[in-house]
Amino acid sequence: MLMVLINVLNSYMHSSDHQEEVAPAATPAMQSVHFLYSDHHNWLVGWLRFRLGDATDAADLAHDTFVRLIARPRCFDNSQEARAYLRTIANGLCIDLWRHREIERAWLETLATQPEAYAPSAEEQIAVLQALHEIDGMLHYLPPKAARAFILVMACGMTHQEVARELGVSSRMVGHYITRAMLHCMQLETRNLAQTDAIAP
Amino acid sequence: MPSHEAMEQAAAWFSLLQSGTATDADRERWQDWLAGTEDNRAAWAFVDRISQRFQPLQTHTSPRLAADALQAAKRRLARRRIILGTVVIAGAGGMLSWAVWQQPGTMDTLIAWGADYRTATGERREIHLADGTQVWLGSASAFNQEYDARLRRLRLYTGEILIQTAADNQHDAGGRPFIVDTAHGRLRALGTRFNVRLDDEGHTQLAVYEGAVQITPTAGIPGTTITAGQQARFTAEHLETPAPADPAREAWSRGILLAQDIPLGEVIAELSRYRHGHIAVAPDVAQLTVLVSYPLDDVDGALAMLQQTLPIQIRRPLPWWTSIEARTQ
Repeated sequence: MLMVLINVLNSYMHSSDHQEEVAPAATPAMQSVHFLYSDHHNWLVGWLRFRLGDATDAADLAHDTFVRLIARPRCFDNSQEARAYLRTIANGLCIDLWRHREIERAWLETLATQPEAYAPSAEEQIAVLQALHEIDGMLHYLPPKAARAFILVMACGMTHQEVARELGVSSRMVGHYITRAMLHCMQLETRNLAQTDAIAP
Repeated sequence: MPSHEAMEQAAAWFSLLQSGTATDADRERWQDWLAGTEDNRAAWAFVDRISQRFQPLQTHTSPRLAADALQAAKRRLARRRIILGTVVIAGAGGMLSWAVWQQPGTMDTLIAWGADYRTATGERREIHLADGTQVWLGSASAFNQEYDARLRRLRLYTGEILIQTAADNQHDAGGRPFIVDTAHGRLRALGTRFNVRLDDEGHTQLAVYEGAVQITPTAGIPGTTITAGQQARFTAEHLETPAPADPAREAWSRGILLAQDIPLGEVIAELSRYRHGHIAVAPDVAQLTVLVSYPLDDVDGALAMLQQTLPIQIRRPLPWWTSIEARTQ
């Protein structure tokens, strides 16, 4: 896996050499990723292992951290600053990993409480989990009640009045939550699309 | 990409249409809205995209089970985050200060919730500090007071403050300097009355009415001194050329909205600071100039008056949604 990453790094550096006249800033930035990798990779794996208590997870997330850095290269004044930045990215990835596992666990626990007759197929389970991860990612930064109201409306098709009764707020407030949550998701979606467009050649 | 305005409208329409109380007339109006512009249709396409994300929960499982599983996961994660949060703060002061530098706006908004002095939307407060300095705090604003043996320092996190400094009696040797810090730099008062405002575009705006104030932007670029009758905007890296001070930046402390030949869009942005809910202004009327003086405590009254004096009409399609557009004959 490490070799793969180094190859990716090299190919990035190589391609930016060719495009020097187009994007002169890319070369030093990519070189700096290369140096960052050799200076801080071992330290980062150690930090992640301490955080996660698992060597495989730590190696995976260290890899993902540097992939993020390749996608958006930046320069640092000193190694302390670089480590603070890497730690911030890695910390975010740790939290994502925990979210992922926690959702999976909650879903399996919920299924376990159901009668035997209710057993979605493996494909269905994957589709549901995938949807849950996506939804969780979209609603992450919303206030808990707004997120809850949005899920009840979108997934369960409940009316504002029904949601209002369940959450103990006014129907008008539910309307406010839904508008806000929908706008939030739409903005996230446009940003994601813009980013994909920017990265794609 | 659709405009922000169209996306806001699409979200509001969506909320209304699936509320369970939408009427046929609502649905017809939505159809008209959708047929209206390409921008609207592009925005609605995003509503569809988001809705599709929830499709697998409806076709493959009981949606209620999936919704409850997500809720259980979120609750456990929230508990975990509280524990983690303390570890991260205790363990990485360096990282935290980096984050503050990176995202001054977001961090300051969070910190504002715990500030010494703050106001709710629509509220104004007059505060007398121990040294005799008088502070007016605008709507949805927050600052901390940090006085010590060397400095009298206020830190503005969000919103707007007007300050009338008093001479410092506590020290014989000329008194302690009076400082206001924002995310963008330091302001040092030189015996004075001045207004500091964090605007929506990510600047600090200083207007001086008496005396003078020295600006030192955070990034270390050369500062300047703004004297009475002038105002200037700055960020950490950039200082704009001073302009004549806007009397409106003092009038608010007396509860008066003052607009002298100001575009309608800016007047509404100002009013929005004093009221909850969203006010949308159509681009074709946003540039109309406005000459008005009105109590800030009555935003709806101000809107009604604007409607009488300008060729605009005001609609409220939803309770928290006010829309201002050109009047149709």
